[in-house]
Amino acid sequence: MSLVHAVAVTCFGAGVAVVVLTGLGALRVRRVEDRLHYLTPATSLGAPLVGLGLVIANGWGLTSAQIALICVLMVVTGPALTSAVLRVASQRAGTVSPEAPE
Amino acid sequence: MNPWLLGTIALVGLGLPVAVWIGARGSATDRLVGLELGAVDATLALLAFSQAVEQPSYLIVPAVAVVLAFAGTLVYTRLLAHPS
Repeated sequence: MSLVHAVAVTCFGAGVAVVVLTGLGALRVRRVEDRLHYLTPATSLGAPLVGLGLVIANGWGLTSAQIALICVLMVVTGPALTSAVLRVASQRAGTVSPEAPE
Repeated sequence: MNPWLLGTIALVGLGLPVAVWIGARGSATDRLVGLELGAVDATLALLAFSQAVEQPSYLIVPAVAVVLAFAGTLVYTRLLAHPS
């Protein structure tokens, strides 16, 4: 196993561990806000680590570009989705007015 | 058995059941969190599976999934925004 392969597998394994552990953490708590807090590292940290590991393993090329694009999309859309879900939860709980700006 | 396949198994065997469990219980917003978590797990599992079987053409599936998951979750937030 070369050093590059070891680094790639380490990054990939760390990303998978982050995603799985954040899921288990989200299962442990009950409030929606707390669950969203646990969900954030999955998209902001886990997905980039998985993508980094795969990009290192593949080297420069179109495959790596596509993997990077997918991971960038996850990193960009993750916080937007979290914000949208939290807004809905707040509206349904009555802490935010339904007429509040989106 | 390569490390990419092990990661795929971990994501599908541990991550997805947790997401399904969250997505099947509780209030509508609780289930929406489960949907979001499941989309992340599934997309990363598809990425890892593509690497495990050395088929880069399979990457089109997670590429489409990440876009559809974003749009689909936003649709659900819109539908759930005004409870009847």
